[in-house]
Amino acid sequence: MKLSENPIFITQKRLTHRTGVLAPILIAALIGASLLAGLIAYLADPLNFSFHSPQEAGKTFYGFVIGVEILVLVIGGFSKISRTLAEERKAGLWDSNCLTPLKPAQIVCGYWLGSPLREFYMAAILAGTGLVIVLLGRLPISLWIGTQILICSTALFFGLLAVLIGMTLQRAQGGIIFIVAFILLQMPSLAMPKFIITNFLLPTYGIFHLFLDSGNSGNDYSMHDWSGQPEIFGLPVYPVLLSLILQFVIGIFLWRGAIRKTANPFQPPLFRWEAVALFAIFLAAQHGLIWEIWRGQFPTANHYANSEQETLSIVHFGTILFAIIILAFISPQPETVRVKVMRSGNRSFGAIFPGSAVSLALVLTAVAALVLFTQYARSFADSWEIYLIAVGNLLSFFLIFSLLLEFCRLRFKRRALGFVALWLFVLCVLPFILAGVFTNGAIGKLSLFSPGIVALDDPNDENLNNLLDIVAAHFGIVVLLFISWQRQWKQLLAKAA
Amino acid sequence: MSNPLLAIEHLRVDFPEVVAVNDLTLTVNAGDVCGLIGPNGAGKTTTMRAISGLQECTRGSVKVGGHELASEPDELKRQLGFMPDFCPTYDQLTASEFLDHFARAYDVPNRAKRIDECLELTWLAEKTNSLCEELSRGMKQRLVLAKTLLPDPKVLLLDEPASGLDPLGRIELRKILLQLREAGKAVLISSHILTELSGFCNTAAIMERGKLVTFGTIAELGQKMGRRQMSVKWRTDDGKALEILRGANVKNLEARNLGAMFNFDGDTNALDELLKTLVTQNVRISEWRGTGDDLEQIFLQSGAKELM
Repeated sequence: MKLSENPIFITQKRLTHRTGVLAPILIAALIGASLLAGLIAYLADPLNFSFHSPQEAGKTFYGFVIGVEILVLVIGGFSKISRTLAEERKAGLWDSNCLTPLKPAQIVCGYWLGSPLREFYMAAILAGTGLVIVLLGRLPISLWIGTQILICSTALFFGLLAVLIGMTLQRAQGGIIFIVAFILLQMPSLAMPKFIITNFLLPTYGIFHLFLDSGNSGNDYSMHDWSGQPEIFGLPVYPVLLSLILQFVIGIFLWRGAIRKTANPFQPPLFRWEAVALFAIFLAAQHGLIWEIWRGQFPTANHYANSEQETLSIVHFGTILFAIIILAFISPQPETVRVKVMRSGNRSFGAIFPGSAVSLALVLTAVAALVLFTQYARSFADSWEIYLIAVGNLLSFFLIFSLLLEFCRLRFKRRALGFVALWLFVLCVLPFILAGVFTNGAIGKLSLFSPGIVALDDPNDENLNNLLDIVAAHFGIVVLLFISWQRQWKQLLAKAA
Repeated sequence: MSNPLLAIEHLRVDFPEVVAVNDLTLTVNAGDVCGLIGPNGAGKTTTMRAISGLQECTRGSVKVGGHELASEPDELKRQLGFMPDFCPTYDQLTASEFLDHFARAYDVPNRAKRIDECLELTWLAEKTNSLCEELSRGMKQRLVLAKTLLPDPKVLLLDEPASGLDPLGRIELRKILLQLREAGKAVLISSHILTELSGFCNTAAIMERGKLVTFGTIAELGQKMGRRQMSVKWRTDDGKALEILRGANVKNLEARNLGAMFNFDGDTNALDELLKTLVTQNVRISEWRGTGDDLEQIFLQSGAKELM
């Protein structure tokens, strides 16, 4: 079925047109026209402007165009798709569409490409204006092609993410909260553009690189961090290509999840093997990007011109965040497990463990340990202790989070989220607050986050043994939680009987 | 035995704190309109959602037109029309655009003609170009019914279809359902308004707390319950009729002016015998009927009212 014949696409188009597209198109056109007018004014009378060349003026004005385009297409499109889906699910229209013989791919494509049509129109106007600016500014056409490809692929990638989020969110506004949180989390990574994967997933590096690559315009020195090609384990990769590959590979997982959930709403958005593969790809790409700093000799040899010593601790923190998102997604709802147990008749505790987030936590730790080892491969004899602390910290964190999440879901049911947040606050944040209150940095090291981050940030610290003790203490919490977790599952199994 | 168009076997649906549907087995044959009756929370809507695949089943099987839900969901979707108990419509689409959306989704041949037919059938021909948001609740209900009828499914699941309809709409709904019955469709319909169901249901399933209390044709159920309330009227009052009734197997006999009301515990044959006795004893009967409604009686007698 062609997209133009897809009933969901047609309906979304009708709905978009009925609520009006002229005003947004005119807004986009006015923004574009204003920027174009600015460039024309500069070309007519260059002395009245502070630009050094037509290229510099062109880049500035085109930069504004693509800024607005990203805002409209990526953020606006994401918000529109997730909101549409959440609202249609609430209204029962999603169910009505799923009951038709339409294939899941047709349903997903209909929403993915149909609901942000207004944003597509606006982006098309801005892209057209951008092309004129690039031509008038005597900039290479490759700048326009490259940036537009990146914006389109990013819009499609985040659109697909929005479909999946809209299919699972309870509230229509949740989608925009997600993307704003993502962008805010990405902000700190701008300090190390070449080394952090989010700069390629949201292709800021690729876009800046294209700008810097399109001729010297006089004031590019301040952006030297954005020049040059990133390397994956020492292999240079063209940044635009890296962004496209990353978005495509992760997009495959998102697509599979969206299709699976449309075909059967009771299927998880992510299978366990997919979660492991996604985690491995993310981590391998991330460690590949920072490999050039130590080239397997952490922490003894820093090969990078600028000292980027703290990078590995930042990656460690990112690893923890990414893993807990995956663990939260994969952790089975107690009700699903109960139904499964009733269906299979297998009421032994052994049937619970392989499907729980706890076993996945072990697998994710193994993957993380393996990938982290690439930073130590040539210095392991000297730095095994730091490695042990980092891996131990990952293992204890992943286990505590998954045990806590499942325990709270079993024990507190609908109030589980609040209790998980409470305990994570106590275990992760409270030590830092107390450290500040009592001006004693040692208390801060008790946080679940601390041992790995402290060890990686300051590998020459003489108190590494203390950190090992703290990791061991964290495993004490794991044991206590495991006992409570096991008891809760056994109670559920007894109920299922 | 005929091959049922809808066959549910040992269906069970679990919710966190309750078994919503428990070991439900029922069949609906071609040309049958089966009333799914039960108090609030009996599991009627959950049953319909489970049949259509919108609710996960713990165990049991659902077959629609011979296609198993678990293994052939796509084939099943083509045979099934589900009308939920609320009205999911695109508010910013017109009635005909709304139907066009689903006609395209079901790949209905002669789309425009079929849309007009369905709008005509549901008395919405005048509202073809009205936006869905401008329609009243009853009209939306009829529009969703038109959407359900659009692909001409073999099996229809109608969840409280009459709840938002005005009296005229209910009469029209009854006509439509009778037409569907004649066309050989299998219809499973839930409603709280038992008098509405009585007009066109030939089978009924009574549910309570997720369990099937009883299931069968209306006649079978009447016999199964073994007790019905009767109203009888006669032209002359000589006391003979009341005497015969007192001597027969009746309860709660209540004499009225030229007539009486009573409960009868026997089966249909025994009731026929009683009528025969009255006639042979020269009682001039002017009316002989079950009072209220058969389905209502069956429901009340089934005991499925604890949750009402």
